[in-house]
Amino acid sequence: MMKRFFTILFVLSLIMVMPIHAVGFPTKEVQVIIPWAAGGATDLIFRALAATTGKYLGKAVVIVNRPGGGSAVGYTEGAKAKPDGYMLTSGVTPLTILPHQVTTAYTYKDFDPIINVVSDPSMFLIRADAPWKTLKEFLDFAKKNPEMITVGNSGAGGGVHLVALAFEKAAGVKFNHIPFSGGGPSVTAILGGHINAVSVSPPEGISHVQAGKLKILALFAEKRLEMFPNVLTVKEQGIDFAMGMWRGLVTPKGTPPDVIKKLHDAFKQGMDDPVFKKNAMDMAVNLSYLGPEAFGKLMAREDEFFGKLIKEIKK
Amino acid sequence: MNRYEMAGGMVLFLFGAITALLSLRMPIGTFRMAGAGLFPLCLGILLMVLSGIFLLRFLLKKWQSVKKEEFPSEIPGSAMQVLFFMGTMILATFFFKILGYPLVSFLLMVALLRILGMKQWPFNISLSLITAIASYFLFVQWLKIPLPKGWIGL
Amino acid sequence: MFESVQQLASGFTIATTFYNLFYCLIGAIVGTLIGVLPGIGPIAGIALLIPATFGLHPTSAIIMLAGIYYGAMYGGSTTSILLNVPGETASVITCIDGYQMAQKGRAGPALAICAIGSFIAGTIGLFGLVFLAPPLAEAALAFGPPEYFSLMVFGFIVLSNVTGTSLTKSLMMAIVGLIIGTIGLDPVTGDARFTFGSVSFLGGIEFVAVAIGLFGIAEVLTNVEKPLEMLEQRVIVPRLRELYPSLQDLKKSITPILRGTGIGFGVGLVPGPAPVIATYSSYMIERKISKHPEEFGKGAIEGVAGPESANNSASQSAFIPLFVLGIPFAPPTAILLGALLIHGVTPGPLLISQHPELFWGVIASMYIGNFILLILNLPFVPLFANILRIPKKILLPLIILFCITGQYTVNNSVFDIGIMLLFGALGFLMRKWAYEGAPLLLALVLGPRLEVAFRQSLMISHGDFGFFINRPISMVFLLATVLFLVIPLIRMTLKKQRRGEVKQ
Repeated sequence: MMKRFFTILFVLSLIMVMPIHAVGFPTKEVQVIIPWAAGGATDLIFRALAATTGKYLGKAVVIVNRPGGGSAVGYTEGAKAKPDGYMLTSGVTPLTILPHQVTTAYTYKDFDPIINVVSDPSMFLIRADAPWKTLKEFLDFAKKNPEMITVGNSGAGGGVHLVALAFEKAAGVKFNHIPFSGGGPSVTAILGGHINAVSVSPPEGISHVQAGKLKILALFAEKRLEMFPNVLTVKEQGIDFAMGMWRGLVTPKGTPPDVIKKLHDAFKQGMDDPVFKKNAMDMAVNLSYLGPEAFGKLMAREDEFFGKLIKEIKK
Repeated sequence: MNRYEMAGGMVLFLFGAITALLSLRMPIGTFRMAGAGLFPLCLGILLMVLSGIFLLRFLLKKWQSVKKEEFPSEIPGSAMQVLFFMGTMILATFFFKILGYPLVSFLLMVALLRILGMKQWPFNISLSLITAIASYFLFVQWLKIPLPKGWIGL
Repeated sequence: MFESVQQLASGFTIATTFYNLFYCLIGAIVGTLIGVLPGIGPIAGIALLIPATFGLHPTSAIIMLAGIYYGAMYGGSTTSILLNVPGETASVITCIDGYQMAQKGRAGPALAICAIGSFIAGTIGLFGLVFLAPPLAEAALAFGPPEYFSLMVFGFIVLSNVTGTSLTKSLMMAIVGLIIGTIGLDPVTGDARFTFGSVSFLGGIEFVAVAIGLFGIAEVLTNVEKPLEMLEQRVIVPRLRELYPSLQDLKKSITPILRGTGIGFGVGLVPGPAPVIATYSSYMIERKISKHPEEFGKGAIEGVAGPESANNSASQSAFIPLFVLGIPFAPPTAILLGALLIHGVTPGPLLISQHPELFWGVIASMYIGNFILLILNLPFVPLFANILRIPKKILLPLIILFCITGQYTVNNSVFDIGIMLLFGALGFLMRKWAYEGAPLLLALVLGPRLEVAFRQSLMISHGDFGFFINRPISMVFLLATVLFLVIPLIRMTLKKQRRGEVKQ
């Protein structure tokens, strides 16, 4: 009873007074730019993380969606932000992909790494009532009918689009790639049966797999998922292919090291919070913590890999 | 239809033409794989066609009935007022980040009130001050909107 | 059906606990305030208050945040009516007749009918939500890229002439809106379009800036142009007994409210620009079937009652895809989805079965919240209506300050203020030259989605245009569009023929 009373007092005081806090970072809310529309994987994960991190940071973490241009809009804005730690950007695989494909105003080198949060295998989902029962049937059909199977992705040049392109090469088939403006819209399109398959990365579509509406056709992971132990990886089915997405947080180059440390510590605590852990499990995302240094190395490695891959595809 | 509407039609035709020309610089592609320029190019051409029809109809039907009145060459006092008003707002926008929200809101109020004929300075300044303080508390303190602090650092 | 009633009853027991009622009330009050301020819409409002819900029970938290959402929908029309400043997409249409009513001293009835219409729409919308949610969510899935394209074309052609002046001029303004909508990065290929090398243009032109500019700032400038002596005069001051709608007003409004509710609920299931399509359609229909269409644009109460109801029931049905599919179709519900996650609830197709207390508790609280909002808003009417007693020479600078501040809060962007002023000047000239802003705004919202749907469709069909006609839903919309364009032409030729016969 008393606890509830104090909760109300807390809410009221937040609403009515909103006091100014002491000096030192952070003195105001911290914003995180998500370069995609709300409802996609990155958006969902960082919304959940923002919620638990607010407690440890002392100020709210606010998610700002800046979709468009296959993430170029959001990253351009993120790179140009003041390096004061108040405007962070979610650093996700496309940060090391897009600059190889089009001329962008930024590369991953324009950002300082803070923390890596998630590392997820990608997958293809199809409707549960699709004509293909197995990956082999699917690929056989694709071989006979090049460019007929429509595969949705969350945006041209985005991570899952590239995964689909790379898988196409590994399996020796051709798909018809349809870009959507984010993971939410592409999953909606497969639910409605407007495309044949969709390239996603968890948590997108996972709740629909659980509900039996969609099923995992191809899992591009090194090992099987804990949540779906019966789903084979494509490696187990004879195609040597695994690819995933990592999702972390970056800040514009030149942010003071002590600010980065404060941010890193708060987000690490947010990651370890049981509420976030449960959320992450429900969303079937694979938590994979990396500190600033290791995350920076990962980005450099991935940047080199995608640079080569894109050059090959463009040939 | 009057002369002003026709002037509008001409502006629209020009706007369409510029859009179409600029679109041609972008990749056009095919309908199967549309490039970035295709959609704006179609729009620009469509706007040219529509405004062309609009102007033609005007010329055919209304040519005789239009009086040979000239556009007003002398700007009347009230139009100057609009220009002053607009100019003040543009200045406020320009200095928004530099001077900070509390100061800009105060100065903006003083200037706009003056343009609209508020000649008693004490009343003008106190009204502007009250407005600036009230909006500062509403937006910055209560709603926690990160408005620029600027020069005075509030 | 019976099961739903039973569960709704249990939802009411959850919603009527003291604490949940309290949070519902707080949400409704804060939402109304946020809705009244231009610029700060439900999205910013919910985002601002999410931290305040840490430590609350998930149901209480969502009850409060949902309260902010529909509270803001109630409050959104206030500045449209009083000051001609549309704070969000949904209240653009309310400016047209709402502001005219206020200019004639009838701000009170206009504000009151908004609250009443919203209440009725909200109530009926909730029943739809309770009994029809799962089948409606399935229906929403039937809309793929081609259906979406055809619906957008239909909306674009039919609704662009919403005020019923010249179709050519409306279409021209709509195309200008579409062109402005292409500014920024190409959503499919990622190429920069019309950005002139500037980063500020990359994200495109902000809708709210264009809306406030074309309506609010342009209106202020038009007033400023009048001689100074005229600014000394006050707007017609409302008399007390005219603060609330007369019986005749209510009679006139009731069918528009019901029609608006239906339209809004159906359209609310369309991803994205639902509020715009819903309000424009409602206004268009009311004007078309009215016995006195000439009153529209001069302060017809039907032109306020219909769209406002449509707006509110659309915001109710926007909850359906969120609760049933776990996919937000509009930004405000996307924020609510984030809030659900924060409280350890994963939205998705299993939400209703896994968290029945949350789903039914929130539904019941929405009903109570609507009632609270009605009671809350009606006493505010005289207060708001009295804002117009402020002399214009003081009111106009205040509006400008409000617009500039509100615009900044949308994206924390000074560039957006510049865009707002630019469109203010443009809107001022457009008024002089007798061009309308409403079609431009409609197209600005529909444009990007129309283009993407068009390109996606042709990619799926390998460039085959027959795709649009082969799909039944898509074909119906295209056919309706063609009929809309052709019927007036046939009528005109028939009239001419008849006249010709008479002459002979």
